[in-house]
Amino acid sequence: MAVVEDDVVVSKRISSSRTQWPIFIALVVVAATIVYPLYFVIITSLRPNADYLQDPFGLPGEWTFDNYLRLAQTYGVGQAFLNSMFVSTTAVAIVLLLASLAGFALAKLPVPGTKYITATFVSVMLLPAPVLIIPVYLMLARLDLVGTYWGLILVYVATGLPFATFFLTLTFRGIPDEVIEAARIDGAGFFRIMWSIVRPMGSSGLATLAVLQFLGVWNELIFAFILIPEESMRLLTPTLASIGERFLTDQPLVSAGLFITASIPLILLAFASRYIMQGLQVGVSR
Amino acid sequence: MTSAALTSRVGAASAAPTGGAPAPRKPGGIRRRDRVVGLLAVLPAFLIVVGFMAFPVGFALFISFTKTNGLTYEWRGLDNYIALFNDPIVHQVFLNNLKFLISVPLVIFAALIVSVLLFERVRGWKFFRVIFFLPNVLSVAVIGIMFRNAFGYYGGVNQALGLFGIEPIQFFTNGGTAIAIIILALVWAGFGYQALLLLAGLTSINPAVFEAAAIDGAGWWKRLWYITLPNIRRVLGFVFIINVLYTFTSLFGFVFVMTAGGPGFDTTTIDYLVYLRAFSSTNLGSGAALAVVLFLFIGILTLIQNKVFKLQEED
Repeated sequence: MAVVEDDVVVSKRISSSRTQWPIFIALVVVAATIVYPLYFVIITSLRPNADYLQDPFGLPGEWTFDNYLRLAQTYGVGQAFLNSMFVSTTAVAIVLLLASLAGFALAKLPVPGTKYITATFVSVMLLPAPVLIIPVYLMLARLDLVGTYWGLILVYVATGLPFATFFLTLTFRGIPDEVIEAARIDGAGFFRIMWSIVRPMGSSGLATLAVLQFLGVWNELIFAFILIPEESMRLLTPTLASIGERFLTDQPLVSAGLFITASIPLILLAFASRYIMQGLQVGVSR
Repeated sequence: MTSAALTSRVGAASAAPTGGAPAPRKPGGIRRRDRVVGLLAVLPAFLIVVGFMAFPVGFALFISFTKTNGLTYEWRGLDNYIALFNDPIVHQVFLNNLKFLISVPLVIFAALIVSVLLFERVRGWKFFRVIFFLPNVLSVAVIGIMFRNAFGYYGGVNQALGLFGIEPIQFFTNGGTAIAIIILALVWAGFGYQALLLLAGLTSINPAVFEAAAIDGAGWWKRLWYITLPNIRRVLGFVFIINVLYTFTSLFGFVFVMTAGGPGFDTTTIDYLVYLRAFSSTNLGSGAALAVVLFLFIGILTLIQNKVFKLQEED
């Protein structure tokens, strides 16, 4: 693979060393269309509204964290942040656990009906959320789970599992049979093999999946909005949506909300971009 | 399982038939045990997926044949569907979705340019790759509100227009401009990720083809048009289909935070209408029928995708 990439570079350079600079500049321009709006949001969030209205594009005349404090103290954004964190971590942990078990079994054990089980996972993978809204809401209402985090977590686990299982089945197939066989001969049972072989050997795939699933749950809006009607229990995205609606005239305040919601994904992208990019290879099916 | 038990089983079962499945070295007793363990390991995930993804589809189908408020169900046959096809709002909303399809060529065009630029692998291309992926890690709530803010009355765009002495424009009180801004948000949110998909397609082209072309004296544009594009037409087709699917199933978030479907129903999409029907009308059956129609439509598109582009074989 590396050899192929080197070839590309060499062959490109033969003919196009002249075009290197224009291409670099074009990339910078495109990157600016992504980075500038975010820069604008961050800068705006750090200034008072009056200061923003005076000169929106310049640097703030007065820097302040006031918008963040107001959001946390008056509009419950701090609590919403914690709620989102709790729901996201719990849902991702459950997805990872169940998908690891299922993925390992489908990859390495002679599960009866593997074909049908895999077909079920794959066929629901692209199920559009709008189809699920009404029936899932009614089912959870019947189970008395509307308005609880567990109902929401259950939905996130169910919608996350198909891709997660598919992804981990592919990942775990890469573990050599000999290693597992050897462990068995040494007397390792199912859980022992999962913990001491599958977990470390599949760690890169597990990390990729954890990051992708976390992003998915953290960013989700529809179910978070519908299934948690109680305002004091709201997650971050619905809270942000209602703040965005209520404070049309206070751009700095809304910007602070935007940055709080975007902060965790941005941190993940900054520190785990390797895993996210790896997920991209398989994540075509998203 | 202790190792003693394991060896005794191996000894006892070595003659047993293995049921014709692969891995011939494993004797029957262990295989039987493996089947049970394997089944138990798959079961929790399988049951949750069947219970909360597969079953709801069937349930939605049932609801769509009834008049219901969620507590009592009254069988109505095809009434909801007939009402749907005669509903002027549904017609309008479907047309809206078609308008949003304008985003598809725009996203692909932007993604194509970016992928071709990245493919030159100039200094820092890996860093650019991460930057272009950035919108993809953000919530639609964040992107939607960011764009609504930017184009709001006090937003950056109107402030910038103000510098040129132009009066602020109410972008969201007009259906046409509101759709244009949602499309802009869609393009912004989607082009980077899709550029990376196209880049993967470009990378898989045999470099010898480029070398041959370079030796024959083909210029950059010629190579782009006669070699690069034809070679990635499959990935292009795939990207095209996922964009169309996305336009029909994933606009909810943008519409919800940017326009709430307004003015009137001018920016309401099918998925948003499902939500409106579900939570602001007395008959859930109507919303469910719409969801089922959407589901069938998406299913057909997906089948076409699988048939025409045969991506599954590629993996």
